[in-house]
Amino acid sequence: MSSLQTFFGLLPLLLSGALTALEIALCTLVLASIGGLVLAVWLTFSRSRLVQAGIACFIEWMRNVPALAHLFLIYFGLSYLGINLPAWLAAIVGLSLVGSAVLCDIFRAGLQSLHVGQYEAGLAVGLTRVQILANILLPQSLRRSLPAFANYVTQLIKDTSIASAIAVPEIMFLARNLVTSTFQTSLIYFAVMCIYAAMILPIGLGFIRLERHWGSAR
Amino acid sequence: MISFFAQYPEYWSDWTARLLQGGVVTAKLSLGGFALAALLGSLLTWALRSPFAWLRRSAVYFIQGMRALPLLALLLALYFSLPSLGLTLSGFEAGILGLGLQGSAYIAEILRGGLDALHRGQRESAIAVGLTPFQAFTAVILPQAIRGMLPPLLNAYVSILKDSSLCALIATDELMLAARAIASESFLPMHIFLLVGLFYFVIAFPLSLLSRVLEKRFSRGRKSLRG
Repeated sequence: MSSLQTFFGLLPLLLSGALTALEIALCTLVLASIGGLVLAVWLTFSRSRLVQAGIACFIEWMRNVPALAHLFLIYFGLSYLGINLPAWLAAIVGLSLVGSAVLCDIFRAGLQSLHVGQYEAGLAVGLTRVQILANILLPQSLRRSLPAFANYVTQLIKDTSIASAIAVPEIMFLARNLVTSTFQTSLIYFAVMCIYAAMILPIGLGFIRLERHWGSAR
Repeated sequence: MISFFAQYPEYWSDWTARLLQGGVVTAKLSLGGFALAALLGSLLTWALRSPFAWLRRSAVYFIQGMRALPLLALLLALYFSLPSLGLTLSGFEAGILGLGLQGSAYIAEILRGGLDALHRGQRESAIAVGLTPFQAFTAVILPQAIRGMLPPLLNAYVSILKDSSLCALIATDELMLAARAIASESFLPMHIFLLVGLFYFVIAFPLSLLSRVLEKRFSRGRKSLRG
Protein backbone atom coordinates (compact mmCIF):
# COMPACT_ATOMS: atom_id res chain seq x y z
CA MET A 1 0.00 0.00 0.00
CA SER A 2 1.44 3.34 -0.94
CA SER A 3 1.83 5.87 1.80
CA LEU A 4 -0.67 8.19 0.10
CA GLN A 5 -3.33 5.47 0.36
CA THR A 6 -2.43 4.92 4.00
CA PHE A 7 -2.68 8.64 4.59
CA PHE A 8 -6.23 8.82 3.23
CA GLY A 9 -7.12 5.57 4.98
CA LEU A 10 -6.18 7.05 8.36
CA LEU A 11 -7.78 10.41 7.78
CA PRO A 12 -11.45 9.58 8.62
CA LEU A 13 -10.53 8.27 12.08
CA LEU A 14 -8.30 11.25 12.82
CA LEU A 15 -11.01 13.63 11.59
CA SER A 16 -13.52 12.07 13.98
CA GLY A 17 -10.97 12.84 16.69
CA ALA A 18 -10.79 16.40 15.41
CA LEU A 19 -14.56 16.64 15.79
CA THR A 20 -14.31 15.47 19.41
CA ALA A 21 -11.57 18.03 20.03
CA LEU A 22 -13.70 20.81 18.55
CA GLU A 23 -16.71 19.75 20.64
CA ILE A 24 -14.62 19.86 23.79
CA ALA A 25 -13.17 23.21 22.79
CA LEU A 26 -16.62 24.65 22.07
CA CYS A 27 -18.15 23.49 25.38
CA THR A 28 -15.09 24.79 27.22
CA LEU A 29 -15.24 28.10 25.39
CA VAL A 30 -18.87 28.67 26.38
CA LEU A 31 -18.33 27.71 30.03
CA ALA A 32 -15.04 29.58 30.35
CA SER A 33 -16.49 32.72 28.76
CA ILE A 34 -19.39 32.75 31.17
CA GLY A 35 -17.12 32.00 34.13
CA GLY A 36 -14.51 34.56 33.09
CA LEU A 37 -17.07 37.28 32.48
CA VAL A 38 -18.85 36.71 35.78
CA LEU A 39 -15.55 36.70 37.69
CA ALA A 40 -14.27 39.80 35.89
CA VAL A 41 -17.44 41.80 36.58
CA TRP A 42 -17.57 40.56 40.15
CA LEU A 43 -13.92 41.43 40.72
CA THR A 44 -14.30 44.91 39.24
CA PHE A 45 -17.46 45.90 41.11
CA SER A 46 -17.16 44.05 44.42
CA ARG A 47 -16.09 46.13 47.39
CA SER A 48 -15.54 43.10 49.59
CA ARG A 49 -11.88 42.37 50.23
CA LEU A 50 -12.73 38.72 50.84
CA VAL A 51 -14.32 38.28 47.42
CA GLN A 52 -11.41 39.99 45.72
CA ALA A 53 -8.85 37.88 47.56
CA GLY A 54 -10.81 34.71 46.83
CA ILE A 55 -11.00 35.40 43.10
CA ALA A 56 -7.33 36.43 43.01
CA CYS A 57 -6.31 33.16 44.68
CA PHE A 58 -8.41 31.17 42.21
CA ILE A 59 -6.84 32.96 39.24
CA GLU A 60 -3.27 32.58 40.49
CA TRP A 61 -3.72 28.89 41.27
CA MET A 62 -5.27 28.19 37.89
CA ARG A 63 -2.69 30.18 35.95
CA ASN A 64 0.46 28.95 37.69
CA VAL A 65 -0.24 25.22 37.74
CA PRO A 66 -0.04 23.15 34.52
CA ALA A 67 -3.36 22.24 32.90
CA LEU A 68 -2.28 18.61 32.98
CA ALA A 69 -2.19 18.72 36.79
CA HIS A 70 -5.73 20.13 36.85
CA LEU A 71 -6.98 17.38 34.54
CA PHE A 72 -5.36 14.65 36.65
CA LEU A 73 -6.71 16.27 39.80
CA ILE A 74 -10.24 16.31 38.41
CA TYR A 75 -10.19 12.95 36.65
CA PHE A 76 -8.23 10.80 39.13
CA GLY A 77 -8.59 12.93 42.25
CA LEU A 78 -12.35 13.30 42.17
CA SER A 79 -12.87 9.59 41.54
CA TYR A 80 -10.92 9.01 44.75
CA LEU A 81 -13.55 11.14 46.49
CA GLY A 82 -16.27 9.02 44.89
CA ILE A 83 -17.18 11.40 42.06
CA ASN A 84 -16.61 9.53 38.80
CA LEU A 85 -16.66 11.94 35.88
CA PRO A 86 -16.34 10.54 32.36
CA ALA A 87 -13.04 11.56 30.81
CA TRP A 88 -14.54 14.01 28.31
CA LEU A 89 -16.46 15.79 31.07
CA ALA A 90 -13.38 15.94 33.28
CA ALA A 91 -11.50 17.52 30.36
CA ILE A 92 -14.23 20.11 29.83
CA VAL A 93 -14.42 20.94 33.54
CA GLY A 94 -10.63 21.22 33.89
CA LEU A 95 -10.11 23.30 30.78
CA SER A 96 -13.09 25.51 31.69
CA LEU A 97 -11.68 26.25 35.14
CA VAL A 98 -8.31 27.21 33.68
CA GLY A 99 -10.07 29.11 30.90
CA SER A 100 -12.24 31.16 33.22
CA ALA A 101 -9.13 32.31 35.09
CA VAL A 102 -7.40 33.28 31.83
CA LEU A 103 -10.50 34.99 30.43
CA CYS A 104 -11.21 36.75 33.72
CA ASP A 105 -7.80 38.43 33.43
CA ILE A 106 -8.50 39.34 29.79
CA PHE A 107 -12.00 40.72 30.42
CA ARG A 108 -10.92 42.56 33.55
CA ALA A 109 -8.12 44.31 31.67
CA GLY A 110 -10.72 45.34 29.08
CA LEU A 111 -13.11 46.66 31.75
CA GLN A 112 -10.44 48.52 33.67
CA SER A 113 -9.17 50.20 30.51
CA LEU A 114 -12.43 52.18 30.45
CA HIS A 115 -12.63 55.52 32.21
CA VAL A 116 -14.57 55.57 35.46
CA GLY A 117 -16.46 58.59 34.15
CA GLN A 118 -18.43 56.32 31.86
CA TYR A 119 -19.84 54.52 34.87
CA GLU A 120 -20.56 57.74 36.74
CA ALA A 121 -22.22 59.33 33.70
CA GLY A 122 -24.45 56.26 33.39
CA LEU A 123 -25.49 56.60 37.03
CA ALA A 124 -26.09 60.32 36.54
CA VAL A 125 -28.57 59.79 33.72
CA GLY A 126 -30.44 57.28 35.87
CA LEU A 127 -29.39 53.91 34.48
CA THR A 128 -29.18 50.95 36.83
CA ARG A 129 -25.84 49.23 37.34
CA VAL A 130 -26.91 46.28 35.22
CA GLN A 131 -27.98 48.60 32.39
CA ILE A 132 -24.68 50.47 32.54
CA LEU A 133 -22.79 47.21 32.39
CA ALA A 134 -24.82 45.69 29.56
CA ASN A 135 -25.23 48.78 27.39
CA ILE A 136 -22.15 50.89 28.02
CA LEU A 137 -19.24 49.08 29.60
CA LEU A 138 -19.32 45.53 28.23
CA PRO A 139 -19.74 46.37 24.51
CA GLN A 140 -16.68 48.61 24.64
CA SER A 141 -14.53 46.42 26.85
CA LEU A 142 -15.29 43.22 24.91
CA ARG A 143 -14.15 44.92 21.71
CA ARG A 144 -10.89 45.81 23.37
CA SER A 145 -10.50 42.24 24.66
CA LEU A 146 -10.98 40.70 21.22
CA PRO A 147 -7.29 40.19 20.25
CA ALA A 148 -6.46 38.52 23.57
CA PHE A 149 -9.65 36.46 23.33
CA ALA A 150 -8.60 35.26 19.87
CA ASN A 151 -5.26 34.15 21.28
CA TYR A 152 -7.06 32.25 24.00
CA VAL A 153 -9.29 30.42 21.51
CA THR A 154 -6.36 29.16 19.43
CA GLN A 155 -4.51 28.19 22.61
CA LEU A 156 -7.60 26.33 23.78
CA ILE A 157 -7.84 24.24 20.60
CA LYS A 158 -4.22 23.25 21.04
CA ASP A 159 -4.78 22.49 24.73
CA THR A 160 -7.54 19.98 23.95
CA SER A 161 -4.66 17.70 22.95
CA ILE A 162 -3.81 17.42 26.67
CA ALA A 163 -7.12 15.59 27.17
CA SER A 164 -5.52 12.59 25.46
CA ALA A 165 -3.61 12.05 28.72
CA ILE A 166 -6.87 11.06 30.43
CA ALA A 167 -7.95 8.89 27.46
CA VAL A 168 -10.42 11.23 25.79
CA PRO A 169 -10.65 9.92 22.20
CA GLU A 170 -9.54 13.12 20.49
CA ILE A 171 -6.91 13.52 17.76
CA MET A 172 -3.78 12.90 19.81
CA PHE A 173 -5.22 9.89 21.58
CA LEU A 174 -6.43 8.27 18.34
CA ALA A 175 -3.11 9.12 16.70
CA ARG A 176 -1.16 7.36 19.43
CA ASN A 177 -3.39 4.30 19.11
CA LEU A 178 -2.95 4.30 15.34
CA VAL A 179 0.81 4.54 15.74
CA THR A 180 0.93 1.47 17.93
CA SER A 181 -1.23 -0.53 15.51
CA THR A 182 0.20 0.63 12.15
CA PHE A 183 3.75 1.84 12.98
CA GLN A 184 3.27 4.63 10.41
CA THR A 185 4.70 7.07 12.93
CA SER A 186 5.89 9.94 10.75
CA LEU A 187 2.88 9.79 8.47
CA ILE A 188 0.38 9.87 11.31
CA TYR A 189 2.03 12.73 13.16
CA PHE A 190 2.30 14.63 9.89
CA ALA A 191 -1.45 14.15 9.38
CA VAL A 192 -2.10 15.26 12.97
CA MET A 193 -0.12 18.47 12.49
CA CYS A 194 -1.99 19.19 9.24
CA ILE A 195 -5.34 18.72 11.00
CA TYR A 196 -4.41 21.07 13.86
CA ALA A 197 -3.15 23.67 11.40
CA ALA A 198 -6.38 23.28 9.40
CA MET A 199 -8.42 23.92 12.56
CA ILE A 200 -6.38 26.80 13.96
CA LEU A 201 -5.35 28.89 10.96
CA PRO A 202 -8.94 29.57 9.71
CA ILE A 203 -9.99 30.53 13.23
CA GLY A 204 -7.09 32.97 13.45
CA LEU A 205 -8.07 34.49 10.10
CA GLY A 206 -11.72 34.62 11.18
CA PHE A 207 -10.82 36.59 14.28
CA ILE A 208 -8.74 39.02 12.20
CA ARG A 209 -11.82 39.69 10.03
CA LEU A 210 -14.06 39.98 13.07
CA GLU A 211 -11.68 42.48 14.58
CA ARG A 212 -11.74 44.54 11.42
CA HIS A 213 -15.54 44.73 11.46
CA TRP A 214 -16.28 44.89 15.14
CA GLY A 215 -13.02 45.44 17.03
CA SER A 216 -11.89 48.57 18.83
CA ALA A 217 -9.52 49.67 16.05
CA ARG A 218 -12.24 50.29 13.47
CA MET B 1 -11.50 17.23 55.78
CA ILE B 2 -9.14 16.60 58.68
CA SER B 3 -8.79 12.93 57.81
CA PHE B 4 -7.89 14.03 54.29
CA PHE B 5 -4.89 16.01 55.48
CA ALA B 6 -4.01 13.38 58.07
CA GLN B 7 -2.68 11.23 55.22
CA TYR B 8 0.13 13.67 54.46
CA PRO B 9 2.42 13.26 57.52
CA GLU B 10 2.59 9.51 57.03
CA TYR B 11 3.99 9.67 53.49
CA TRP B 12 5.54 13.14 53.62
CA SER B 13 9.25 12.28 53.53
CA ASP B 14 8.89 9.61 50.84
CA TRP B 15 6.69 11.75 48.60
CA THR B 16 8.67 14.98 48.88
CA ALA B 17 11.95 13.15 48.24
CA ARG B 18 10.61 11.64 45.03
CA LEU B 19 8.85 14.81 43.93
CA LEU B 20 11.99 16.84 44.56
CA GLN B 21 13.94 14.45 42.36
CA GLY B 22 11.37 15.00 39.63
CA GLY B 23 11.49 18.71 40.37
CA VAL B 24 15.21 18.83 39.61
CA VAL B 25 14.57 17.22 36.22
CA THR B 26 11.69 19.65 35.60
CA ALA B 27 14.02 22.54 36.43
CA LYS B 28 16.69 21.29 34.04
CA LEU B 29 14.10 20.59 31.36
CA SER B 30 12.44 24.00 31.58
CA LEU B 31 15.71 25.95 31.84
CA GLY B 32 17.21 23.97 28.95
CA GLY B 33 14.07 24.50 26.89
CA PHE B 34 14.08 28.21 27.71
CA ALA B 35 17.77 28.56 26.81
CA LEU B 36 17.20 26.86 23.47
CA ALA B 37 14.07 28.94 22.89
CA ALA B 38 15.99 32.14 23.66
CA LEU B 39 18.78 31.16 21.28
CA LEU B 40 16.46 30.15 18.42
CA GLY B 41 14.18 33.09 19.18
CA SER B 42 17.10 35.53 18.83
CA LEU B 43 18.05 33.91 15.54
CA LEU B 44 14.46 34.22 14.33
CA THR B 45 14.31 37.87 15.36
CA TRP B 46 17.53 38.47 13.47
CA ALA B 47 16.08 36.62 10.46
CA LEU B 48 12.88 38.72 10.64
CA ARG B 49 14.97 41.89 10.22
CA SER B 50 17.31 40.49 7.59
CA PRO B 51 17.58 42.21 4.20
CA PHE B 52 16.82 38.92 2.41
CA ALA B 53 13.12 38.43 1.73
CA TRP B 54 13.33 34.63 1.65
CA LEU B 55 14.88 34.59 5.12
CA ARG B 56 12.24 36.93 6.53
CA ARG B 57 9.49 34.89 4.94
CA SER B 58 10.74 31.53 6.21
CA ALA B 59 11.05 32.97 9.72
CA VAL B 60 7.42 34.14 9.55
CA TYR B 61 6.25 30.74 8.32
CA PHE B 62 8.23 28.97 11.03
CA ILE B 63 6.74 31.17 13.75
CA GLN B 64 3.17 30.80 12.46
CA GLY B 65 3.60 27.05 12.06
CA MET B 66 4.95 26.60 15.58
CA ARG B 67 2.10 28.65 17.01
CA ALA B 68 -0.50 26.54 15.22
CA LEU B 69 0.90 23.29 16.60
CA PRO B 70 0.06 21.76 19.99
CA LEU B 71 3.21 21.11 22.00
CA LEU B 72 2.08 17.54 22.67
CA ALA B 73 1.96 16.76 18.94
CA LEU B 74 5.43 18.21 18.54
CA LEU B 75 6.81 16.22 21.48
CA LEU B 76 5.31 12.93 20.33
CA ALA B 77 6.51 13.51 16.77
CA LEU B 78 10.05 14.28 17.95
CA TYR B 79 10.13 11.35 20.34
CA PHE B 80 8.47 8.68 18.22
CA SER B 81 9.05 9.60 14.60
CA LEU B 82 12.63 10.90 14.60
CA PRO B 83 13.97 7.36 15.30
CA SER B 84 12.59 6.25 11.90
CA LEU B 85 14.80 8.96 10.37
CA GLY B 86 17.76 7.53 12.24
CA LEU B 87 17.86 9.98 15.14
CA THR B 88 16.89 8.57 18.52
CA LEU B 89 16.36 11.10 21.30
CA SER B 90 15.72 10.37 24.95
CA GLY B 91 12.52 11.78 26.42
CA PHE B 92 14.57 14.49 28.11
CA GLU B 93 16.32 15.54 24.88
CA ALA B 94 13.10 15.45 22.87
CA GLY B 95 11.49 17.52 25.63
CA ILE B 96 14.15 20.23 25.53
CA LEU B 97 14.01 20.28 21.73
CA GLY B 98 10.21 20.49 21.64
CA LEU B 99 9.98 23.16 24.35
CA GLY B 100 12.79 25.09 22.65
CA LEU B 101 11.27 24.92 19.17
CA GLN B 102 7.83 26.02 20.26
CA GLY B 103 9.13 28.54 22.79
CA SER B 104 11.35 30.14 20.15
CA ALA B 105 8.27 31.28 18.21
CA TYR B 106 6.89 33.03 21.28
CA ILE B 107 10.22 34.51 22.30
CA ALA B 108 10.85 35.80 18.77
CA GLU B 109 7.56 37.69 18.99
CA ILE B 110 8.55 39.15 22.38
CA LEU B 111 11.98 40.24 21.14
CA ARG B 112 10.52 41.71 17.96
CA GLY B 113 7.94 43.64 19.99
CA GLY B 114 10.63 44.94 22.35
CA LEU B 115 12.85 46.12 19.51
CA ASP B 116 9.96 47.65 17.55
CA ALA B 117 8.99 49.68 20.61
CA LEU B 118 12.18 51.74 20.29
CA HIS B 119 12.32 54.64 17.90
CA ARG B 120 14.40 54.21 14.73
CA GLY B 121 16.23 57.41 15.56
CA GLN B 122 17.98 55.67 18.46
CA ARG B 123 19.95 53.44 16.14
CA GLU B 124 20.46 56.14 13.54
CA SER B 125 21.84 58.64 16.03
CA ALA B 126 24.09 56.00 17.61
CA ILE B 127 25.58 55.30 14.21
CA ALA B 128 25.77 59.02 13.48
CA VAL B 129 28.01 59.58 16.53
CA GLY B 130 30.37 56.91 15.22
CA LEU B 131 29.33 53.62 16.87
CA THR B 132 29.49 50.48 14.75
CA PRO B 133 26.10 48.79 14.15
CA PHE B 134 27.14 46.10 16.64
CA GLN B 135 28.07 48.68 19.28
CA ALA B 136 24.85 50.57 18.60
CA PHE B 137 22.92 47.39 19.25
CA THR B 138 24.73 46.31 22.43
CA ALA B 139 25.29 49.75 23.99
CA VAL B 140 22.18 51.68 22.95
CA ILE B 141 19.35 49.48 21.68
CA LEU B 142 19.56 46.40 23.88
CA PRO B 143 19.83 48.10 27.30
CA GLN B 144 16.65 50.03 26.57
CA ALA B 145 14.75 47.24 24.83
CA ILE B 146 15.49 44.70 27.58
CA ARG B 147 13.31 46.63 30.03
CA GLY B 148 10.24 46.04 27.95
CA MET B 149 11.19 42.44 27.16
CA LEU B 150 11.93 41.22 30.65
CA PRO B 151 8.36 40.86 32.00
CA PRO B 152 7.03 38.92 28.96
CA LEU B 153 10.21 36.81 28.95
CA LEU B 154 9.54 35.82 32.56
CA ASN B 155 5.99 34.88 31.54
CA ALA B 156 7.41 32.85 28.67
CA TYR B 157 9.57 30.94 31.14
CA VAL B 158 6.53 30.25 33.34
CA SER B 159 4.69 28.88 30.29
CA ILE B 160 7.63 26.67 29.41
CA LEU B 161 7.79 25.46 33.00
CA LYS B 162 4.11 24.53 32.94
CA ASP B 163 4.38 23.00 29.47
CA SER B 164 7.30 20.86 30.58
CA SER B 165 4.71 18.77 32.46
CA LEU B 166 3.69 17.37 29.06
CA CYS B 167 7.09 15.68 28.83
CA ALA B 168 5.70 13.16 31.33
CA LEU B 169 3.76 11.76 28.37
CA ILE B 170 7.00 10.94 26.53
CA ALA B 171 8.39 9.19 29.59
CA THR B 172 10.69 11.91 30.94
CA ASP B 173 11.25 11.38 34.66
CA GLU B 174 10.07 14.85 35.60
CA LEU B 175 7.73 16.14 38.29
CA MET B 176 4.44 15.07 36.72
CA LEU B 177 5.64 11.56 35.92
CA ALA B 178 6.92 11.16 39.48
CA ALA B 179 3.50 12.28 40.71
CA ARG B 180 1.70 9.80 38.46
CA ALA B 181 3.94 6.98 39.64
CA ILE B 182 3.26 7.82 43.29
CA ALA B 183 -0.47 8.18 42.60
CA SER B 184 -0.73 4.75 41.04
CA GLU B 185 1.19 3.14 43.91
CA SER B 186 -0.49 4.86 46.81
CA PHE B 187 -4.05 5.15 45.47
CA LEU B 188 -4.16 8.69 46.85
CA PRO B 189 -4.40 10.68 43.58
CA MET B 190 -6.11 13.70 45.12
CA HIS B 191 -3.33 14.14 47.68
CA ILE B 192 -0.52 13.76 45.14
CA PHE B 193 -1.90 15.96 42.42
CA LEU B 194 -2.66 18.73 44.92
CA LEU B 195 0.89 18.46 46.20
CA VAL B 196 2.43 18.46 42.73
CA GLY B 197 0.25 21.44 41.81
CA LEU B 198 1.70 23.19 44.84
CA PHE B 199 5.24 22.35 43.65
CA TYR B 200 4.59 24.04 40.30
CA PHE B 201 2.81 26.93 42.00
CA VAL B 202 5.69 27.62 44.39
CA ILE B 203 8.07 28.10 41.45
CA ALA B 204 5.73 29.74 38.96
CA PHE B 205 3.83 32.18 41.18
CA PRO B 206 6.82 34.26 42.42
CA LEU B 207 8.04 34.57 38.83
CA SER B 208 4.61 35.71 37.62
CA LEU B 209 4.52 38.19 40.47
CA LEU B 210 8.01 39.48 39.65
CA SER B 211 6.98 39.89 36.02
CA ARG B 212 4.01 42.01 37.06
CA VAL B 213 6.10 44.14 39.42
CA LEU B 214 8.70 44.76 36.72
CA GLU B 215 6.02 45.60 34.20
CA LYS B 216 4.52 48.14 36.57
CA ARG B 217 7.90 49.65 37.34
CA PHE B 218 8.96 49.92 33.70
CA SER B 219 5.68 51.45 32.63
CA ARG B 220 5.83 54.07 35.37
CA GLY B 221 5.46 57.52 33.92
CA ARG B 222 3.39 56.17 31.06
CA LYS B 223 -0.09 57.28 31.98
CA SER B 224 -3.05 55.02 31.44
CA LEU B 225 -6.70 55.49 32.18
CA ARG B 226 -7.90 53.34 35.01
CA GLY B 227 -11.44 53.31 36.33
